[in-house]
Amino acid sequence: MVHSIVWRVDTAEAIASQAQELRRGTVVLACLALLTTPQYGYALLETLDAAGVAVDGNTLYPLLRRLEKQGLLTSEWNTDESRPRKFYRISAAGAAVRDGLIGEWHDLVDTIDRLTKEA
Amino acid sequence: MDTLTERYVQEVVRRIPAASREDVGRELRATIADTLEARDEPDRAAAERAVLTEMGDPIRLAARYADRPLALIGPDLYPTYVRVLTMLLATVLPVVVLVSMVADLVENNDLGGAIGSGIGSLITVGAQVFAWLTLAFFLLSRYQHRDERARTTAWTPDALRPVRRADRSTAAPVASATWHAALAVLLVWQQLALPYRAANGDRLPVLDPALWSGLAWPILLGLLALVALDLHRAFGRVRDARSTVGYLVAEAAFTLPLAWLVWDRAIFDPRFLHEVNGTWTAPAAWYSGAALIILAIGMLEVMKRVREGRQAGQGC
Repeated sequence: MVHSIVWRVDTAEAIASQAQELRRGTVVLACLALLTTPQYGYALLETLDAAGVAVDGNTLYPLLRRLEKQGLLTSEWNTDESRPRKFYRISAAGAAVRDGLIGEWHDLVDTIDRLTKEA
Repeated sequence: MDTLTERYVQEVVRRIPAASREDVGRELRATIADTLEARDEPDRAAAERAVLTEMGDPIRLAARYADRPLALIGPDLYPTYVRVLTMLLATVLPVVVLVSMVADLVENNDLGGAIGSGIGSLITVGAQVFAWLTLAFFLLSRYQHRDERARTTAWTPDALRPVRRADRSTAAPVASATWHAALAVLLVWQQLALPYRAANGDRLPVLDPALWSGLAWPILLGLLALVALDLHRAFGRVRDARSTVGYLVAEAAFTLPLAWLVWDRAIFDPRFLHEVNGTWTAPAAWYSGAALIILAIGMLEVMKRVREGRQAGQGC
């Protein structure tokens, strides 16, 4: 006799949590793509949010510093306005990584397209 | 300035490397101020609270800034940690416990006390092994360099152990037969050899000799029947409903009288108890507890055999 257990799955919840996993890696690519023009933390968060990339500040701000440490971004303090802000922009190395990631992204989309068509 | 924001920023920056404290602090202040401004909320204090709540626990944020794992032992060291811990608990702990029990027994000639000291060292040594090993791995995962971490976790399939054959293995029934046979031998031996030497030179059995005109026989016969059934289970070819019923009867013959005698406090020779315990008597609750444990073990055994019998029946 074969025993089988069927779990009740909340579909909406399952999609939400899996989608979060899917999106996790795309935040870096989105940042690298947007930072061809220099931007500061909060403004970038707003731009990402408006573009539909959901990310929390407490994830984004440390991420920007990490990318800077890895040499993919450069930063500069702008003290022209009343509130000094740290502006990030993409470095030459970052641009190369971005182009590579865009290639990877298209490959992924092609692969998934192929797989889902066959299914 | 002692604002809520300032307290929050301090809580974060004091947890990150000194070199980046000032820069992170400045950026964090600007970011929080930007977020606050965008809220456009008349109640500034409430808005500030809301913004800081969204930023979340400063310890977590600081860990993200410092690129530090939010775990005592990171995922890269965890497999090694579990392996070493299992190895130590399985090897060092039994040895230490056994040595302390033997030492206690030699020194005080008191089995109860030795068991007590064994349990004591089991708990203390187990906790020590656990605590020190965890501390060592915590320090390792905090201060080890990233690429070194990758090297320590290098795992190859050579480490895999051969699969244990869970199905129809002979090891478990043979072990069970050995255990039941040993109990039967002990039961008879303690009566024939009178192993306990009392202070006045008399030799005593451990169990009450009166049992031999009563309940010792079903216990002994039950044990012998269990040995036979275990051997049949290990080496016999056919397994059918009859052997399951046999197990039920034998286990009942062995367990029920034993549990009853323990419950009734009629199991031990009173002279032996007097020699070992002196004027002290074990609380009745100990006996009832032991009787319940004996019953539970018996029931578990029967349930296991019933389940195996059903699986064997379906497999054929």
